[in-house]
Amino acid sequence: PAAMATRLLLAASRRLLAGAGAGAGARPGLRFRMLSPPEKKRWLRAYLEQQRSEQPNWDYHAEIQAFSHRLHENFSLDLLKTAFVNSCYIESEEARRRELGLDEGSVALNLQDNSKLAEQGMSFSRAYLLRCFEGAYPDLPAKGVEALVDFLTSQELVSYVAQNLSIQDLTLCKEFPVPPDVLQRTFFAVIGALLDSSGPEKTGIFVRDFFIPQLIGKDLFEIWEVVNPMGLLVEELTKRNISSPEPRITRQLGVSTVLPLYFVGLYCDKKIIAEGPGETLLAAEEEAARVALRKLYGYTENRRPWDYSKPKQGLAAEKAISSN
Amino acid sequence: MSWPPRAAPLPVPGESGAMTGRGTPSRFLTAVLHNGVGRYVRQLQRLQLLFSPTAADARGARDFVEEAALDFARQHPDVVLYISPRSGRAPLLLAEYLNGTVREELVASKTCEEIVQLATKLAGQSGLDIIRIRKPFHTDNPSIQGQWHPLTNKPSILTVQGPRLQPQ
Repeated sequence: PAAMATRLLLAASRRLLAGAGAGAGARPGLRFRMLSPPEKKRWLRAYLEQQRSEQPNWDYHAEIQAFSHRLHENFSLDLLKTAFVNSCYIESEEARRRELGLDEGSVALNLQDNSKLAEQGMSFSRAYLLRCFEGAYPDLPAKGVEALVDFLTSQELVSYVAQNLSIQDLTLCKEFPVPPDVLQRTFFAVIGALLDSSGPEKTGIFVRDFFIPQLIGKDLFEIWEVVNPMGLLVEELTKRNISSPEPRITRQLGVSTVLPLYFVGLYCDKKIIAEGPGETLLAAEEEAARVALRKLYGYTENRRPWDYSKPKQGLAAEKAISSN
Repeated sequence: MSWPPRAAPLPVPGESGAMTGRGTPSRFLTAVLHNGVGRYVRQLQRLQLLFSPTAADARGARDFVEEAALDFARQHPDVVLYISPRSGRAPLLLAEYLNGTVREELVASKTCEEIVQLATKLAGQSGLDIIRIRKPFHTDNPSIQGQWHPLTNKPSILTVQGPRLQPQ
């Protein structure tokens, strides 16, 4: 009966086998079986799971091939495998081999790490995205474009994209779970590998398809922090030889209540350029300045959506390569 | 307007309010990583077929392995198919998705064609929860001309109400 009970527990919690051992894993499994399946899976999995590569049913070569098919890209498999190797993995493996007492000849792994590919990928992505935004939003100033590109190549966003493409399963790294900076580096290394395998045009389309949808639903000033929008607006208008704006209250509601609402309109030469709401007059004026800036830069909410059709972006990618 | 995606509310243990929409979890229509906007990425990562080589209810699974598994693997080159025969277990099809979800489907006493259909269905799903979807549509730009508010079509206080202007 004891053996049968153990077998039942092992059957219920098969993923715990690879972890701390059947004995330690079995007892939590019994208690948690009473929870409904979705709850058991979510946090139990996070608490007790090991790396996918240490669980049963894992074939690295097949997974790499499937990865390249899934992204509809033709990678050269050696470059792709190099892209997943991190330097911390090489060091920890060599240290482990040294501890096991192997001689110096077999300690050294014949693996290249992904730092060069990662740099290539990062610089290509940044250059390509810069060209894209300069083409799509010609009125946006350099600081705004840089803020957009920094947001898209930031650690959180890139590691989020990489996690949802399951790059953390294929990455060879010292720690588990894979930290976000390693994920970012690995994803850029994958882009670098694609650059070497398929050339700049296909890589440009890849970068466009995975990074630019992350801007969907985001407002310009969520990404680009502007402290003084009114000052920036006055600068922009003087560049275009328009007189500086005069703010006027256009609508107001509930002035003497706890929640007043003011709409402030900005007028240049007695023509309205933007109107913005706010709880106080200052807040409304600032919001009106932001609305005016969005209109000037062409980054309004009702702008034309990004064009994901077949490339005429070859030009942008070539410029990106030549600027490297 | 950016609507932050909320996690599906889980039922409190101890309540069995499955009669209403409030008692069961629900989510909004969404795609993992805006899949399809840029390019379509199949969300199914790998399928593991665990079955017993001798049990009676695993006959469909064994037929699937003999006849249809290779075709399925060729038609879906981006899904890794693992076949693992192990004795004394109910036949199971485990699907792992890119966002981490793992779905187990029991294939006991199913025929080979039914297993193929099931595998194809799993290959077309994303790993998001199969719970009630609140609305069958989603948009990130709900308003083109600007969201209506009570002051939209009211004249501003700067409008001068004067004598009737002559047509020019």
